[in-house]
Amino acid sequence: MTTPAGIDPRGPRFAATITSVLLLIATFLGLIGISTAQAGSFGWFAYQPLSDAAFTPTNWAIQTASVAQRALDPAFLVTVVIALLFLWSVLSPATAPWGAMFRRAVRPRLAPPAELEDPRPPRFAQGVGLVVVTVGILLHLFGVPWALPIATAAAFVAAFLNAAFGLCLGCQLYLLLQRAGIVGRPARAS
Amino acid sequence: MSPTAALWIAGTLLVVSVAAGVVFRLLDGRRRGGGHLRFDPQHATTALGERVTLVQFSTEMCTRCPQVRRMLSALAADHDGLAHVEVDLTHRADLAARYRVLQTPTTFVVDRSGAVRARFNGVPHRHALSEAIAAV
Repeated sequence: MTTPAGIDPRGPRFAATITSVLLLIATFLGLIGISTAQAGSFGWFAYQPLSDAAFTPTNWAIQTASVAQRALDPAFLVTVVIALLFLWSVLSPATAPWGAMFRRAVRPRLAPPAELEDPRPPRFAQGVGLVVVTVGILLHLFGVPWALPIATAAAFVAAFLNAAFGLCLGCQLYLLLQRAGIVGRPARAS
Repeated sequence: MSPTAALWIAGTLLVVSVAAGVVFRLLDGRRRGGGHLRFDPQHATTALGERVTLVQFSTEMCTRCPQVRRMLSALAADHDGLAHVEVDLTHRADLAARYRVLQTPTTFVVDRSGAVRARFNGVPHRHALSEAIAAV
């Protein structure tokens, strides 16, 4: 088993702190935006209650909005940026912006790390975050109410637990996904 | 939704996350019973201890396994008859199922007959681990 060069474990936690703030902002914007709005409560939205009120007691603004209207929701735009940052961290963790900011601005002010960490678990966890917010983004584009704030809230919990408690939920998920046969290679004969 | 209601929900989310983190901290690394599990020596790549073996389950995607590895190997170096054995579950879902491991790191305290005398999910508390070793 070859192990890649270690990284400062405070780097991923620094990045998780910024990510969790962004995700909390995205969740707030999602809650006040089109995702949770009832039809008729949205100012720019033309609503005719007589046509289908009998069929669906609750009318969500997002269901009748156009794809462009869904994509111009501020929460959607913020979440797309977060997803791109996740994607960057998965494809090229060494150049990802928060990691670079940590190395340039934060790490020189800290004592050297007591121990170095394997870079693979945080990278895997960024992939889990990417999957979660991407599901939210796609469901939002398809007009599913509440999908976006629920996805960003779930990702927020994971990022916050990593930042504040050093618990990497995405990494913990690895063994469960592997036991379910979703990741990892099949068992070798022993 | 009004901004006030959204702020309440966001605040609740923050409080729930803190509570989840506190619960995780409280449950992590506590000594638990080993049930009736037995550790099969053929699943270890190195020799078991004469008296006690600390079996650590790890994966490649495990942030806290290296610190447990250092802690357990230091313990094994300090005590005669105590060995530290690591089992990599990255490609062995069968072993994870057999030993009922749901998270890494998980540590078993195994006696010379192979019986699992205690288990620790997460990073073991030092005192609890020493007590579990002494109790074998």
